[in-house]
Amino acid sequence: MRAVVILMALMLASLMLAQSRDAADHISEDPPLPKIAPAPEFTLTSQDGAPVSLADFRGKVVATTFIYTLCTDTCPVLTPMMSFVQDRLGRDFGTKIAFVSITVDPERDTPQVLKEYARAFGADLGGWAFLTGAPQAIRELTRRYGVFAAKTADGDIDHSFLTSIVDRRGILRVQYLGARFDPEEFRRDLLSLVKE
Amino acid sequence: MAQNRRRFLVGLSSAGASSLIGGSNSSAQEGRLETTTVRIAKVAGICIAPQYVADELLRAEGFTDIRYVATDTGVPLALSLARGEVDFTANYAPALIIPIDAGEPITIVGGEHIGCFELFAREGIRSISDLRGKTVGVQALGSSQYMFLSVMASYVGLDPEKDIRWVTSSSPKPMELFAERKIDAFLGFPPEPQELRARNIGRVIFNSATDRPWSQYFCCMLAGHRDYVRKNPVATKRFLRAVIKAADLCGTQPERVAQRIVDGGFTARYDYALQTLKEIPYTRWRDYDPEDTIRFYSLRLREARMIKSNPNKIIAEATDWRFVNELKRELKG
Repeated sequence: MRAVVILMALMLASLMLAQSRDAADHISEDPPLPKIAPAPEFTLTSQDGAPVSLADFRGKVVATTFIYTLCTDTCPVLTPMMSFVQDRLGRDFGTKIAFVSITVDPERDTPQVLKEYARAFGADLGGWAFLTGAPQAIRELTRRYGVFAAKTADGDIDHSFLTSIVDRRGILRVQYLGARFDPEEFRRDLLSLVKE
Repeated sequence: MAQNRRRFLVGLSSAGASSLIGGSNSSAQEGRLETTTVRIAKVAGICIAPQYVADELLRAEGFTDIRYVATDTGVPLALSLARGEVDFTANYAPALIIPIDAGEPITIVGGEHIGCFELFAREGIRSISDLRGKTVGVQALGSSQYMFLSVMASYVGLDPEKDIRWVTSSSPKPMELFAERKIDAFLGFPPEPQELRARNIGRVIFNSATDRPWSQYFCCMLAGHRDYVRKNPVATKRFLRAVIKAADLCGTQPERVAQRIVDGGFTARYDYALQTLKEIPYTRWRDYDPEDTIRFYSLRLREARMIKSNPNKIIAEATDWRFVNELKRELKG
């Protein structure tokens, strides 16, 4: 089931990207993204068990999102879409652009679990960190980013989808609602901040 | 994915403005929330569902005192706003413009959604022009339905005062009069059209969501009391962001929202609520120009001799698009 969802998400992203392949040529024509506010800082634990802070990414453009590995509805759409964009960022990915996926289910998403999840979705861990941490720290962080996340009665997680792009100086520049946004627009926004 | 695993608030999100402060080139996010209180209208219509399900989003934006104030629809709703009984509401654009023309302190800050009105008529009536001499039921003279049909009638060359025989009745309601074949036509808004269609009563000769030119403009627009908007720009922007996100939720998770507004006592029938939410294109708020809407309806209202001001005056004195313009750039998806 997951494979089918991933395949469909990749096909959709591929189609959307193909339809707007010329758009990348017009990055300089787009108005600059607004400077919303300093992005909320965090220090969490990576899939390798190492501490990772947002400040560690200064100098890189960062896309931050919230997921959990047992999610079966929208996360399996969002993560493959980001993986798809990762592949199309070429050498900029990892060197100038980083992705950060933060779990909203820290009790179950241990570093090892996150590592397996990353592998399943083809994440390049050279530029993509999957983070977990203390439940209270995660709760506070989701609130500060404006993401809703709550445990349900059956122990599952209800959460919202909000992907934030942070510029090289740590300023939040734009947020994407949901998981079905245009991957080409997302890629274009990332690249526009690299060029700033 | 089983629907019952996802709770209503899946998809609920906030830009996190309550904690994202400072270092901004966005005018309304530079300061602290000026007030944590917001009073929102509650009316019989459910096309304005976004404001009914925005409470969690408003809390995420920093509001702690969120009150729903029951009032009537149309111009009475706008007057509640003008009197300061509510701080914000969505309302049919002409119902806002008419009090603004009279000098009421209302500021329109954005559009919410396009069409939700449907005109039902008996056999033999095929167009607005065919309403000449016919009995048409509306909630009240001055109601949104009355205004909408008046401007539509003027648009096709009828004199709404002379050519249409208006019928108002609190009991039985105009919809029931139409169902009993006691009047010729009825203009309804959600959940009334959904109910009439479910009961297979009459036929729809006009739908403001699909019929031009009306379908090209916002139907309901978001407005605040002028003083609240002026004194509380941060709160205004956060309110608008929460309602826009709630509108997105209405479009993407109609089942959850329908259940929520039934549970919250905003409407009785889940099935009509769900149908309403599926029919109104809530997620397309970016596609329409709120200023065009005000200009269009101001012209139509002038044609119908319902206002005296020209559109530019209305736009200059009673609109503020900076919040929605900022949000269009800050929120994608």
